[in-house]
Amino acid sequence: MSAIVTIQDVVKEYSLGATVVQALRGVNLTVDKGEFISIAGPSGSGKTTLLNLIGCVDTATRGVVEVAGQNTAKMSERELTNLRLNTIGFIFQSFNLVSVLTVFQNVEFPLLLQNKLSAKDRKERVEGLLEQVGLKTHLKHRPNELSGGQRQRVAIARALVTDPLIVLADEPTANLDSETGQAILDLMKSLNQKKGTTFIFSTHDHRVMRYANAVVRIADGKVTGRESPQDAVAHEMEGLDTRSTEVRAS
Amino acid sequence: MTFLSPMLWVIAFRSLLQHRVRTFILGAAIAGVTALLVTLTGAFVGIRSTLLLSATTLMSGHVNVAGFYKASASAGAPVVTNYKKVRAIIDSEVPELDYVVQRGRGWAKLVSESGAQQVGIGGIDITNEPGFRQVVQIKEGKLDDLTKPNGMLIFEAQARKLGVKVGDTMTIVAPTFRGTSNTVDVILVAIAADIGMLSSWNTFMNDQGLRQLYQLNDESTGALQLYLKDIDQVKPVQERLRRVLAASGFELLDPDPRPYFAKFDSVNRENWTGQKLDVTNWEDETSFVQWIVTALTALATIVIFVLMMIIGVGIMNVMWISIRERTREIGTLRAVGMQRQAVLAMFVAEGTLLGVMSTVLGGLLGVLLSVGLTRAHIGLPTSWQFVFFSERLVISPTLFWVLFSVGFITAVITLISIIPSFLAARLKPITAMSHVG
Ligand SMILES: Nc1ncnc2c1ncn2[C@@H]1O[C@H](COP(=O)(O)OP(=O)(O)O)[C@@H](O)[C@H]1O
Ligand SMILES: [Mg+2]
Repeated sequence: MSAIVTIQDVVKEYSLGATVVQALRGVNLTVDKGEFISIAGPSGSGKTTLLNLIGCVDTATRGVVEVAGQNTAKMSERELTNLRLNTIGFIFQSFNLVSVLTVFQNVEFPLLLQNKLSAKDRKERVEGLLEQVGLKTHLKHRPNELSGGQRQRVAIARALVTDPLIVLADEPTANLDSETGQAILDLMKSLNQKKGTTFIFSTHDHRVMRYANAVVRIADGKVTGRESPQDAVAHEMEGLDTRSTEVRAS
Repeated sequence: MTFLSPMLWVIAFRSLLQHRVRTFILGAAIAGVTALLVTLTGAFVGIRSTLLLSATTLMSGHVNVAGFYKASASAGAPVVTNYKKVRAIIDSEVPELDYVVQRGRGWAKLVSESGAQQVGIGGIDITNEPGFRQVVQIKEGKLDDLTKPNGMLIFEAQARKLGVKVGDTMTIVAPTFRGTSNTVDVILVAIAADIGMLSSWNTFMNDQGLRQLYQLNDESTGALQLYLKDIDQVKPVQERLRRVLAASGFELLDPDPRPYFAKFDSVNRENWTGQKLDVTNWEDETSFVQWIVTALTALATIVIFVLMMIIGVGIMNVMWISIRERTREIGTLRAVGMQRQAVLAMFVAEGTLLGVMSTVLGGLLGVLLSVGLTRAHIGLPTSWQFVFFSERLVISPTLFWVLFSVGFITAVITLISIIPSFLAARLKPITAMSHVG
């Protein structure tokens, strides 16, 4: 299988006044096409930072980030924006829908940015996706008229509408109850299996890790290992007591 | 996605709608300023046109053929000695002509039992003055009595000052061009409504009476006032007349854009005698009252400028608030693949939309306000009459100025909205997305 994301010796520093915070301290990671991969680690371990670098919404301080074969450090803002538009789909923890647009318009938006499809083709594509996520009947609703689970399903449809190679989801279920969260993950998984889209999602919830093909464990800004979901869940259970204070604190 | 994409306008429109109260307040302010601008420009046009009508009718015509007659080098009189010949040339050479009148010119002291006043006197043949009747509104007496050789017309303020009423006798004391003073008794036959500052020094008397006062013959007058069908033809007519009159053997003064009474000094310093003609236009002859238009323009410009500044600061603030509230949204849209220019265009579209909607509404309001105020026949205080050249408020909104107001204010608002929009578009997507508040 070919690599779609390659991360080499990546360091990400945030400067807060005089002090420098190292959010990532030399991360190496390869993600292959079609994977359904979970990035797991406690709060503050660097999951969001890592996903932001993969998603080209932020840049690394040092190291190489390659997405879809392109070295992002060498790309202009305009090229990065185009890469995000055409290659990457985002699912955010807090849904991030445009409040003044309807469900249909939110999902259609990336297609308008791409400006490749006719109105008729766009309609077909958007309605098809909204049917898959079970929102065919809510096309004209505004985000504030939907439940959290419904909003996240709109976000999933928006992330997938351009047929991206990679979908990034930062704790997609964190703001949902467990039942709805499970339904969302089922949906993501089925889309992964049907279309072969690569999914990278972060979580610190072991119930969520179960869905992954592989779990990349991250702690303190470093990748500490890559394991099967079963092992990951097992570790999670063991370590819960010893790590709990650290988790809560961050 | 460009400025023309419907989706940008949908987002802009709905964002405005989402913040109804804010949009309404700002929109109302913009509409108010637009309405004010329309009304002010309307008042400006109204003043200009009443000034133009009054001043040209009372004093100058559109094109003015006058001149000086000098018996000796330093004794210039505002007289055209052979006006019937000049008039014949005008009749044959100016097809643009609507009509032409002849007026005598005098400068004298008007003395009543209780007062005296220095005035300009127009010698008028009221039977041949179609425009005069429309502009001069008689309050007391009869205009047609100006056919009496010693009939005189003055304005209300003058009548008050001189303490006279129709039927009273007054004496005119005029220094002649020969150095002595002539006097003649006149009867006040009509008192007219004031026409702003124009009526403070203008009076009119029978043209034959004025000739007697200055001992001039029937072939003489002060000026020929030409009224054209189209006032924009003034320049070509003026030039043609100069040429034709010179070719017909008349001597002409050099072109000089000052009213005739400002020319005595320079004419008397020149070393010629006999007749010279002068061809001027209404702008030259009434330039001394047009400072009012200039002053009003300056005043209106300052008012508009200050209001625009206030509105501008308001727009800027609201844009800042709007952008701050939507920073996360901007971040999301940028993350999803929206280019910086598109974000910029989206916010500018919002400003433009607000501008267009509010200014169009304001333009309509301004027109209604102008028409309403004019229809209401609001009497102006005396001091205002002085500069408005009318007893009543006349506001004439024109299509040009309405479109100008709408376009100008929309343009300013769009420009102002570019600054915060630009800064919003420049944010890194991640910075925008992690924005709180
Ligand atoms: N914008 C930022 N400025 C400063 N420090 C940051 C910023 N974003 C994240 N960090 C720090 O980087 C570390 C990793 O954060 P993050 O990637 O958000 O972790 P996670 O998503 O795993 O909770 C944390 O210590 C956090 O405080
Ligand atoms: Mg996080």
